[in-house]
Amino acid sequence: MSIIDLTSMGEPQKDIKNEINTRLKKLQGEISEFCYQCAKCTSGCEAHKLLELEPHKIVALLKRGLIDELVNSDVIWTCMSCFKCRERCPQKVAPVEILFALKNIAVASGKPIPGKYSAMLQSILSIGLIQDAQTVSNHNNQTIKRNDLDLPDLSKPVDGNKFQLVLSKLAIEKI
Amino acid sequence: MKKYVFYPGCVMPTEQYAYELSIREIMPILDIELIDVKGFSCCGEPMKSVNQLMTIYLSARNISIAEKKGYDIFVPCPMCHLSLSECQNVLENNSDINKRINEMLSSENLSYNKPINIVNTVDLIHDIIGLEKIKNLVKNPLNNLKVATHYGCHLIRPSEIGRPVDSENPQKMENILKAIGAEPLDYPEKLDCCGSMINTNLPESALTKTGQKLVAVQDQNFDVFVDICPWCHRMFDSKQKKAGEIVATKLEVPVVYLTQLLGLSFGIDRNKLGFNLNLSPVEKIKLGGK
Repeated sequence: MSIIDLTSMGEPQKDIKNEINTRLKKLQGEISEFCYQCAKCTSGCEAHKLLELEPHKIVALLKRGLIDELVNSDVIWTCMSCFKCRERCPQKVAPVEILFALKNIAVASGKPIPGKYSAMLQSILSIGLIQDAQTVSNHNNQTIKRNDLDLPDLSKPVDGNKFQLVLSKLAIEKI
Repeated sequence: MKKYVFYPGCVMPTEQYAYELSIREIMPILDIELIDVKGFSCCGEPMKSVNQLMTIYLSARNISIAEKKGYDIFVPCPMCHLSLSECQNVLENNSDINKRINEMLSSENLSYNKPINIVNTVDLIHDIIGLEKIKNLVKNPLNNLKVATHYGCHLIRPSEIGRPVDSENPQKMENILKAIGAEPLDYPEKLDCCGSMINTNLPESALTKTGQKLVAVQDQNFDVFVDICPWCHRMFDSKQKKAGEIVATKLEVPVVYLTQLLGLSFGIDRNKLGFNLNLSPVEKIKLGGK
């Protein structure tokens, strides 16, 4: 199932509500046809035991149209993206992709982004990478920099301005 | 000499230096020339929860840079490897997204034209270089070394995208390890996740996952735990002590990159392979039997 078109939230922010609704309706429609709640996804879910994520229930709630509840819930941010549910679903429903879509929608509708995602995005915008070269400790507790190791320079976007321009159009406004 | 554009990604070249050092050390011996290219960016996968179009754009951008050089691309990080592979899949099958992405790429004079081969460490060594060549290079066979492997979720799934190893019974690392004399053994927790992807927002839960897997490996008396993903290695090696605190167990599992272990069997000095950068007790790894 392709949900790429449902999750490309990079369009101008006007009419965002309408767009989200259209995408979700399509998502809902596709799922309703296929998922029969066998819960094979949940049986293998890496986040299930630890954080009570139940992918088959996410799909069930979506089928019932409880989208706001899902988008506002913290549970969508517990997925570890291990892709076991997508691999093993006998109906090719891919709950992991549904969760990515729901998280994208949460971000696009202005919900706070948990954890270090904003910092990573900021870093990509400024240097192209999720972080700059770090100083690390070695086995003997000495600090080591990339420069100490005779490695080539980090590969980063050459024209930072052009890179930034395209990316900030894609990035959501409140970051 | 086979040539590849070397795509380092983010985590490996900014903190997981041992992986990069060991790759750069062993590839020339294996007749692989790595071409360093300026201008790469993040693959976009870490941003998938935030904005999936951004993920596709960033991956497409990196593929285009490699394509311009005219070589296939070597991507040692499984996460980057999945991101680039999935992006190529989308661009080949969805003409609307293809058009939009190419419009965005044009501002940097880049374009996505055709698919290229995206290879990871495991398939490069196992399928392209081949086990015969590996066997012939071994100077110090790692006899009797009981090894637990960890592939990393992004390398093995989803098979729909086309992954370098089998999704339910990956064995390529095992085959490589057997070729250098080691004794890889399957264990029930082999396919368990490291938890790294929620380290951004739920660090304690992430470390619990890491700790649980390491406890299982430790209880089964493995000599060494081998991985190939800089995200996983960050959890299992760099954060092993913290993970042990969270699961209330003293963890002492030597964790190394596959490329470090290969280098060791080829007789390369440990420091050149970045062993001094591993934080887990790698000094416990004894060669030539116990």
